Amino acid sequence: MGLLKFVLWRVAFGILTLFVVSVVVFALTQALPSDPARAILGRDATPASLAAKRVELGFDKPAVEQYTDWLGGLLTGDPGRSFVNGEPIMDFLGDRIKNSLFLMVVAAVVSIPLSIVVGSYAALRRDKTFDSSTSVVTLVLASMPDFVIGALLIVLFATNVAHVVPATVRIRPGSAPWSDLKGIILPVAVLTLAVVPYVARVMRASMIEVLESDYVEMARLKGVPERTVLWRHAMPNAIGPTLQVIALNVAYLAGGVIVVESLFNYTGIGLALRDAVREVNLPVVQFLAMFIAAIYVVTNLLADVGTILVTPRLRTRLT
Amino acid sequence: MDHRPQWLVPGRVISRRQLILGGTSAAAMAAFLAACGSDDGGAGSGTTAGGADTTAGGGATTAAGGADTTAAAAGSPQSGGTLRVGVVGSTNDIVDGQFIVAKADQARLIAGWEPLVSYDADFNVVYENALAEEIETTAADLYVIRLKEGIVFHNGKPVTADDVIYSFQRRLDPDLGLAPALIPLLDASGLTKVDDRTVQVQLKQPAVTFINGLAEYIATVVPVGYTREDPVQIGTGPFQLESFTAGAESVHKKNPNYWDTGKPYLDEVQIIDFADPASLVNALSSGDVDAIVDVPFAQASTISADSNLVLLESEAGSWLPITMAVDQAPFTDPKVRQAMRLIVDREQMVERVLSGHGRVANDMYGVFDACYPDDFPQRTQDIEQAKQLLADAGQEGLEIDLFAPDDTAGLPELAAAFADQAKEAGVTVNVKVLDGGTYWGDEYTKRTFATSFWGTRPYLNQVGAGSLKESTYPETHWPPEGSNFEALYFEALAETDDAARCEIIRQMQQQEYDEGGNIIAVFNSLLDAHKAEVQGLVAEPNVLNLDHFGRGFKNIWLQT
Repeated sequence: MGLLKFVLWRVAFGILTLFVVSVVVFALTQALPSDPARAILGRDATPASLAAKRVELGFDKPAVEQYTDWLGGLLTGDPGRSFVNGEPIMDFLGDRIKNSLFLMVVAAVVSIPLSIVVGSYAALRRDKTFDSSTSVVTLVLASMPDFVIGALLIVLFATNVAHVVPATVRIRPGSAPWSDLKGIILPVAVLTLAVVPYVARVMRASMIEVLESDYVEMARLKGVPERTVLWRHAMPNAIGPTLQVIALNVAYLAGGVIVVESLFNYTGIGLALRDAVREVNLPVVQFLAMFIAAIYVVTNLLADVGTILVTPRLRTRLT
Repeated sequence: MDHRPQWLVPGRVISRRQLILGGTSAAAMAAFLAACGSDDGGAGSGTTAGGADTTAGGGATTAAGGADTTAAAAGSPQSGGTLRVGVVGSTNDIVDGQFIVAKADQARLIAGWEPLVSYDADFNVVYENALAEEIETTAADLYVIRLKEGIVFHNGKPVTADDVIYSFQRRLDPDLGLAPALIPLLDASGLTKVDDRTVQVQLKQPAVTFINGLAEYIATVVPVGYTREDPVQIGTGPFQLESFTAGAESVHKKNPNYWDTGKPYLDEVQIIDFADPASLVNALSSGDVDAIVDVPFAQASTISADSNLVLLESEAGSWLPITMAVDQAPFTDPKVRQAMRLIVDREQMVERVLSGHGRVANDMYGVFDACYPDDFPQRTQDIEQAKQLLADAGQEGLEIDLFAPDDTAGLPELAAAFADQAKEAGVTVNVKVLDGGTYWGDEYTKRTFATSFWGTRPYLNQVGAGSLKESTYPETHWPPEGSNFEALYFEALAETDDAARCEIIRQMQQQEYDEGGNIIAVFNSLLDAHKAEVQGLVAEPNVLNLDHFGRGFKNIWLQT
């Protein structure tokens, strides 16, 4: 029951976090120097038409009222309409959210097991060739920005050296996110290469610590087969600390897609956010900021709960 | 949106050389027809455009048409297939038969809608690729437009005088704001239906630039009652819009009723939005698209190095000025303006700003205008004289801010290059690069020293757009107090004799060449690219990219 209480407390804390984020996001978008009414109407707008547009957009109301209207809309599933074309935000972003989530999930599904395997194996082969070479490779990858990795992959596999995969992704309007599987190979590769170095290095350190622990030594001395030692005793304890890093990296994917989507012309929330900022399309900016914040909160929450579940010490402390 | 790029503003992109000819007067048209080998005998007629339907009848004209020439070289055109065209676009894109807000919208408009007259590669106003059979100039303020026979809309309805009148009315609607430059010239009451195919247009004032205005790609004919919100978009163009998702793509289906017999060749055109010019180039290199619009100058060499790709460079009259407000210190003194122009190393600008894809300019615009004074001495860098002029003006050691927007390729580079060159003359130029929204916002046209860009247009149309106090974009605040420039402008607008009008334009150009507020160092080319199997595109002087988008993609075919 302690676990349930912990989860509830953690959820409440997450909601509070999102509430604070909503205040910050709203305040920041209000502070933007550009005037959305002018952005919509263009240079030839008259003072009268600007004033009318501001009323239409609700800018004549006090800031607090604008905020509560917006927050109320978010909570009731009506985050407003795009300033640019007046479409409800969910109509406009629905497909893009699906596309981006798909990209994030595929990247997570590929990168997390891969980093755990690489990190664990490096720990087992400590100071051997595999360990030292992955150490160098992950360090190099970790020090390169995503767009550099992406540009390199494009040159190598799509445009200049070889033509084995497309350089851009094309998910046609109304199609499923997985309709261009060949196209998402490179984006997923970039995100994977961005995530694996961090998680693998943490996993390696954590695994080494566990492998040197008394209980692993005990198990080995007892004659437990090495495979069981690894999977039953070492792995669960090593993953606990790594989960936090995994969560941060999965959350990072939510932001990382902005760069990757731009690089591969992937029609997701990253490109939508970029356009919206450029067009002073405040409702879309606000909604996407909240959406990305929510991904951070949820992944961290899952990581916290997961850490408790896999770590016997913590699990028992709660009861 | 507020960003001002010339393609944003309907009517800002026009052309050039036709000016004389095209421009405008009937005599001009007649001269064009004569030049094309038409035996219509227009040269002296003076009051009509000659009556030749160049598309159907002008043999020489048709043969000169780019598509046919290429086709001949590469074998005969093959029908069928889908063309994928990449453009830089965003969720702000629109489709409207008579308006664009961003450059991506151009391609979609050209595919579906057509103007009454058009420009050829010499920037003459012609009837090819357009709906009018003849436009008769009765006087500088009275025109009679007659439609070609047998033109129907996508839905099969014939195009009539009512549609032409509605098309003018829609462009004149101040609430829609489609053509602000037309409103001072024309009232809806000046439009009269003569018969089913003929409309008479009575202008409020003489304006020989009127026909140039009709040749703008945006001055199209839409059916009576047309709106941007129509679920089925109807025009006369070679392709009809089937679907459109802003920021993603549009699909255009072949128009089975198209009037230009035998065209279009393709079954379908897809116009795909890219957020970033770099991914656009990558998409072409990896074969994700068949053609792209606007290759970044610096990336042109990677395209030409690929044997599967063709770089399409079209000379244009587009220009990138550094603008000096002539009524603000220190530019109130013509010596200072003169010194700034002498500071510029124009050859270096072409290399540094355009990677060589353009040519040196001489502080004058309207280069394809038949009245362009080619004989004015080419201005070159002269640091000593610039220093002397600055000393005379008491502006030694001048320090000044130069503004540039971050959303227009070339302008930050132009400003930086100028700042470097100015150092030699002891002038300190602080380059201030602003985001596009801020740059083209409230302060635009109020700054003392800034950068800008314009498309190709005839001289007088350009003056109207940017070089008068009441212009929409008076960047240089030209003309100075006490100048007769504006009087000359109105005189030229009413002058139907080409030679006489050229003489007036020459005086105006002389004033701007001597004392104007624009530093015009370069004309930039239009740079596009396509796969080798895409046929029918010709590198020739043009107003719009991709050989005027293959005139709505009708000239393009795929070699299998």
